[in-house]
Amino acid sequence: MSFREALNSGKFVVTAEVGPPKGTDIKDMVHHMELLKGKVDAVNVTDNQSAVMRICSLAVCKIAIEYGLEPILQMTCRDRNRIALQSDLLGASVLGIKNVLCMTGDHVSAGDHKGAKPVYDVESVQLLKIVDGLNNGRDMSGNELNGAADFLQGAVVTPEANPIEPQLIKFEKKVRAGARFFQTQAIYDINKFKEFMKYARRFPVKILAGFVVLKSAAMANFLNNNVPGIRVPQELIDELKAAGKEKALDTGINITARHIRQLKEERVCDGVHIMAIGMEDKVPLIMERAGLL
Amino acid sequence: MIISKKKDLKGLMENIKGYRSFFLIGCSECAALCGTGGEPEIGEMKGALEAEGKIVTGGIVAKTGCQVLGTKTELKQFKEQLNKAECILVMSCGAGTQAATEIFEDKPVYPTNDSLFLGNMTRFRMFDERCSLCGECILDRTGGICPITTCPKGLLNGPCGGCKDGHCEVSPDIECAWVRIYERMKRLDKLQEFCETILEAKDWSKTQKPRNLYAREEKKR
Repeated sequence: MSFREALNSGKFVVTAEVGPPKGTDIKDMVHHMELLKGKVDAVNVTDNQSAVMRICSLAVCKIAIEYGLEPILQMTCRDRNRIALQSDLLGASVLGIKNVLCMTGDHVSAGDHKGAKPVYDVESVQLLKIVDGLNNGRDMSGNELNGAADFLQGAVVTPEANPIEPQLIKFEKKVRAGARFFQTQAIYDINKFKEFMKYARRFPVKILAGFVVLKSAAMANFLNNNVPGIRVPQELIDELKAAGKEKALDTGINITARHIRQLKEERVCDGVHIMAIGMEDKVPLIMERAGLL
Repeated sequence: MIISKKKDLKGLMENIKGYRSFFLIGCSECAALCGTGGEPEIGEMKGALEAEGKIVTGGIVAKTGCQVLGTKTELKQFKEQLNKAECILVMSCGAGTQAATEIFEDKPVYPTNDSLFLGNMTRFRMFDERCSLCGECILDRTGGICPITTCPKGLLNGPCGGCKDGHCEVSPDIECAWVRIYERMKRLDKLQEFCETILEAKDWSKTQKPRNLYAREEKKR
């Protein structure tokens, strides 16, 4: 079943993430792909995540297909103008890539090429409209294409953004611009996420809740202090602390699994997106404990 | 106004080490307000050059240094001092420097400043960039606050995921332009407009360089 079919079937969908390496050695990445094969509905392939230069998303999406995974091409507006974005999208289409996640992209100041010229010729809402146009056989300038694309286009949303109102207005613009599914920033407070879902359910889009495993209380504090839109509740930090150093990671995995299980059992959202960030090998374990395998 | 900043003096002296005599041109407009090209700065530059054993043949704070014809006229009375100078130092912006380049066909012209941005003066010698001269103003759509300039990504349809407590992922010193626009639209009771508008991608052909404008009807080229 394709990712699009899985979303439409009402199945509780699971996506994971593959981070392209910095360099040409893809051994570890391929190993992670093999671990995920047959377990997840699709894998996001990040696009020079955190503005750190790596193998391009497009090439790794193609490799993912070769290893039996369905990729979601993450596409940011940071590094390419409208010509390059559309050109890469058409290229992705003919390589058999069916899904694209449209994002603005972290600023170059976050990355390892701080002197790079940030592009942002278009932004996420406009990129969604571009994809919609390509699906309908037209480029951004209105020129007819010799063969249309057929992407399932998604976007991101931060349910715990502060302030939340401008974020939700942008969410609605993304829906109007053609987003079919959303993957959220990492969530840790299920009750607050339920409030967001009560609002989001008014729109005809699928929502996958984002998860990042907490490895320690220190990591939770770091996320709270440094990462926009992430708020780890104190009770989870206490739980990690109580577990002690040796058991902290295991406890973090249990917390993620417990949250995913709850979302699935209560049908809160349409699925989950597990961002392993360096712990790709733990994804099957998380899924097993969440009752997804 | 055009905001300028003095170049590092050591680097400047290195750049001009091949010349002995100089004529200094400041500007009474932006550069004077920035403290980079008014009377006091010309005096300081004269002192610095003389301390290095150089000769300053003269100097002027041009009324508007980027105004080519006006500056050329003002300089006429300094013919002798200009003739004695091997090199012209311009203490204004890049436009002022290039006015001098046009005026002095046979003399090297060096800038003493770096030109930074089109800025608002918020307090004495404190400047903010608020306009990017994008060629097609959208302030009527964004509550009078320019996201092209005040959002580091120039986003047109709301904040990115990097907004933290109303501040920017690029620096906590930057207020999120889109939170500011949202607050202002709310205050003006224009939130509905804010929600309904999806701004199209900018037409960057409007910024194709070099730009020029012939505003005098009868002088159209």
